[in-house]
Amino acid sequence: MRTDPNIADPDAFYEAWIAAHEGLSDAESAALDTRLVLLLANQVGDVQVLLDCIAAARRAAG
Amino acid sequence: MGAQEVWKFAPAYELPSWPHVRAPDLDARERIRYPVVVAGGGLSGLTLACDLLLRGVPVVVLDEDDTVGVRGASSRGICYAQKSLEIFARLGIYERIRAKGITWSVGRTFSGADEVYSFDLEDDSCSEQPPFINLQQFYLEWFLVDRIRELDESAIRWKTKVGRVENSGDGVVVDVETPDGTYSLEADWFVDATGANSRIRETLGLDAHASRHTDRWCISDVRFKKPLPVERWTWIDAPFNEGRGVWQHLMADAVWRLDYQMDEHADPESISKPEVAGARLREQLGPDVEFEFVWIGPYQYRDHLLDTFRVGRTIFVGDAAHVVCPFGARGGNNGIQDAGNLGWKLALVVEGSAAEALVDSYHAERHAAAVENLRVTSRTARFLAPRSAAEHRLRRAVVALARSHPFARKLANTGRMAQANDYPPSRCAPDGARSLQNVALEDGTTVMERLADGTRFNGFWIGGSDRDVASLADVARRLPLAVHAVAADGALARHLGAAAGTLVLARPDAYVAATIAAPTSGRVEAALRRALALDVET
Repeated sequence: MRTDPNIADPDAFYEAWIAAHEGLSDAESAALDTRLVLLLANQVGDVQVLLDCIAAARRAAG
Repeated sequence: MGAQEVWKFAPAYELPSWPHVRAPDLDARERIRYPVVVAGGGLSGLTLACDLLLRGVPVVVLDEDDTVGVRGASSRGICYAQKSLEIFARLGIYERIRAKGITWSVGRTFSGADEVYSFDLEDDSCSEQPPFINLQQFYLEWFLVDRIRELDESAIRWKTKVGRVENSGDGVVVDVETPDGTYSLEADWFVDATGANSRIRETLGLDAHASRHTDRWCISDVRFKKPLPVERWTWIDAPFNEGRGVWQHLMADAVWRLDYQMDEHADPESISKPEVAGARLREQLGPDVEFEFVWIGPYQYRDHLLDTFRVGRTIFVGDAAHVVCPFGARGGNNGIQDAGNLGWKLALVVEGSAAEALVDSYHAERHAAAVENLRVTSRTARFLAPRSAAEHRLRRAVVALARSHPFARKLANTGRMAQANDYPPSRCAPDGARSLQNVALEDGTTVMERLADGTRFNGFWIGGSDRDVASLADVARRLPLAVHAVAADGALARHLGAAAGTLVLARPDAYVAATIAAPTSGRVEAALRRALALDVET
């Protein structure tokens, strides 16, 4: 799992991400993010990287 | 639903029964000792007994009933996988199964009215047997009993109930009850094939680590005239079942198995009432389709797994050793494949051609298979019964994406169909072992026909000559081995991806024990001795 910056234009990504959630209820937002995770996971493909990402996301909440 | 619909039931199946015969042990002065005694006449026990008899090993099967099946027409297993069918081809009952059963290879999974994914198992098959045949379990048991009785009419002792079991150092003493009285017998090897509720397991104080699932289902086996595709259809969330799962599958005698996922708090008695089950069917089939019930049965599933499949001279097979959730046909098929794994090993150990350590490889291989099956089926169960709002959200995301994104179809999981498990490396198989399909050979025989000839390993020399084969004649005289040359561009070479000049060493259960590059008699003998555990004991 890489943790160094890899997103070419972070501000543009964040702006688009916010825009995608506009006008959605909490449930719809959660569903959108879930679909997004699946689409991104398929870009990654590598199971070990995915497992590392899941663990890192879980840790960051605590 | 009509105001007063009348629910019809098919007449009960008439299952065969066989006569109890007074055992010779009752009149013997001393306890009789047998090489192999099998407790339980279900799929795994009968398959093992049939296998051993064909290998020339005398067997006694103890069965407390005098018929096949459980609870009348209720069929437990319905889907028989290719590896099982290949075993039955070797045992000589495949043609009866094919004639009576329903051959299929296509599965489809739906969400609401939309297809989420489909598969065709024929794509990965090069066997003489199809990927699957559906058949009520009691038919299969019936065919096995007929075949066993052809080989040895007295092998199965009906109405014979196992009581106390005592493992001694080099054998097992078994007390049995019969209508003619009680007696004890001794076995060099005792096999527990008495199923999920094995009392033998308890008698020996073994913990199977059982756990119960809360997911609840109700089967309706029904006959109707509406033509439907002969495919395995599953709904993740069926509109005609209040958004819960439904399974639709055809068995012999034009009986459809429709299996409905229920609310987990539903009362099993009320959901299986004919009027309630009938209303579900009416919802699914539409108003004008006539149908009759064959059987209605509610169930919850459970799982368990023994830590060891061998305790002294007692060996556990089938449900006595492992039970998994019913998804993907991994129950009965794995009992059958336990028997396929164990039969040749016991036969070679009993006849003295292999060391006793070979029997330990049964545990090493089949316990590993059971662990894998437990993992695979538990994942399916979790997909089908989400436990929280978050899990429901994840599943909805998968289904939503699957409509237009092929990758997401791979995440939808209504069962991963049973395949012959690969075996991990173990003492007798340092490279692990991989199943070999029953491919046709150039000489007009098949792999299984070759393997049915005695209890021997078969060396297939890819692109070999008669001279190559002759170079191994000496090894083949000393060890249980037959050698054949097969074409370098033939079906077997293609199936295994085996290069010209290599020798594929196939075990009697159609698993590849070793692939030997540049085979010499020394290399082949070493591989064979390892596979027979002869290199670890002398």
